[in-house]
Amino acid sequence: MASALTVLRRLYLSIYNWLVFIGWFQVLFLALKALKESGHEHVYNAVEKPLLLAQSAAVMEILHGLIGLVRSPVSSTLPQIGSRLYLTWGILWSFPEIRTHILVTSLVISWAITEIIRYSFFGMKEAFGFAPSWHLWLRYSTFLVLYPTGISSEVGLIYFALPYIKASEKYCFRMPNKGNFSFDYFYAAILALGIYVPGSPHLYHYMLGQRKRALSKSKKE
Amino acid sequence: MKVTLVSRSGREFIKGGLELNDSATVADLQEAIHKRTKKFYPSRQRLTLPVPSGSRERPVILNYKKSLKDYCDGNENTLTIVFKDLGPQVSYRTLFFFEYLGPLILYPVFYYFPVYKYFGYEEKRVIHPVQTYALYYWCFHYFKRIMETFFIHRFSHATSPLSNVFRNCAYYWTFGSYIAYYVNHPLYTPVSDLQMKIGFGFGIVCQLANFYCHIILKNLRSPDGSGGYQIPRGFLFNIVTCANYTTEIYQWLGFNIATQTVAGYVFLVVATSIMTNWALAKHRRLKKLFDGKDGRPKYPRRWVILPPFL
Repeated sequence: MASALTVLRRLYLSIYNWLVFIGWFQVLFLALKALKESGHEHVYNAVEKPLLLAQSAAVMEILHGLIGLVRSPVSSTLPQIGSRLYLTWGILWSFPEIRTHILVTSLVISWAITEIIRYSFFGMKEAFGFAPSWHLWLRYSTFLVLYPTGISSEVGLIYFALPYIKASEKYCFRMPNKGNFSFDYFYAAILALGIYVPGSPHLYHYMLGQRKRALSKSKKE
Repeated sequence: MKVTLVSRSGREFIKGGLELNDSATVADLQEAIHKRTKKFYPSRQRLTLPVPSGSRERPVILNYKKSLKDYCDGNENTLTIVFKDLGPQVSYRTLFFFEYLGPLILYPVFYYFPVYKYFGYEEKRVIHPVQTYALYYWCFHYFKRIMETFFIHRFSHATSPLSNVFRNCAYYWTFGSYIAYYVNHPLYTPVSDLQMKIGFGFGIVCQLANFYCHIILKNLRSPDGSGGYQIPRGFLFNIVTCANYTTEIYQWLGFNIATQTVAGYVFLVVATSIMTNWALAKHRRLKKLFDGKDGRPKYPRRWVILPPFL
């Protein structure tokens, strides 16, 4: 139980969380600015760099869970990060035609607010050892609105991107080949949409349980 | 004797408890509960002795053959039993039958019917010999499994939760269709004749070995279905605990060598990991049960499932 390692861990996680927080803050700021000045069609272009960076950085969290640096189970971080990376790289970055859709705005704002609260919460706990109760409340309450808006935006964007996916033949692997294997990105997207059907209520229900536990625990303290 | 039944939360499950003969067995208790509650037939009931709160021990499950007196400590004439509802149950035979029926029926659909038309391909013209042999091999495999389910296997539990029907059928039926789609595809590329023969030949040998393993396992248990565990001996069981899984895994390897599809290999990896989990649990259980103390034999040193790896 070397305390030098504990200090190092807290230092690293503080830096990580506050850096990614800054990234998402930029996303929100630039999104609102572009929305006001140019309209929803231009939101993606304004936020692309910090969005790609901040969202991709989240891959580190899988590593953190695997090596035991944080307590979150890999089984819950993996699908969450998976869907985010799919939308960010697999839909928005890959198919420019969808970038001007209004759902990009709702998506980016939902994600950004959620992540700003989440990363600053962890940043506070790692750096200062505590987080104020309103912060805890925000972390476990904003999802009640932002999950439905975020998930609807994700599903909507995948759906509206389908024609572009089909036409482009991107990421498709065709037969014949020695492995007798094929991959069709269009059908994979349909499968992804299908997963949202049981997946979303399951995730929402899970978060409701987490909320109950977290908020009642803080009352007891 | 008076039996008090509580739920796991401590609440009294049957008001006033049940009055039973002093010589009554657990099976009699199960019948009485079923009679009183109508909904909870015996295979749905999980009856355990209460565990002191805070204790991390696993509760003792009542054996339906034993008499209730065996579970009373001292000469008390009362007994408190904890009840848990296992949910709707289905017999293992029913479960296995439906999960194996899917692959048996769905695979030939891809071989015989113009399915690929709906995926945008023209009517298939060329069928390679390996595709025909694969069909026979696959269907024989699942036919064998169904036969074994009804005539060979002796299950340690009579039933399985109903939810497993959906989960297991999804697994078998989805993977079955996934593999069938690729092996019977109009653009399928066959392997060399030699590779095909090696693959199927090896696979058939393993299937026969697997069948023999099942015979050996069957003879470890008595036909009245009382379950229980013995040390398996003979044939491959002398070197590996779960020789039945070993032969099953190698049998699928044979199929994949002959048919060479990514889908088939993915299935092999997933099936292997599932069986490895089971094998580890079984090996652990047998080692714990046969610890060499109190006259019990000691479980011999053996591979778990896949020599020389595990």
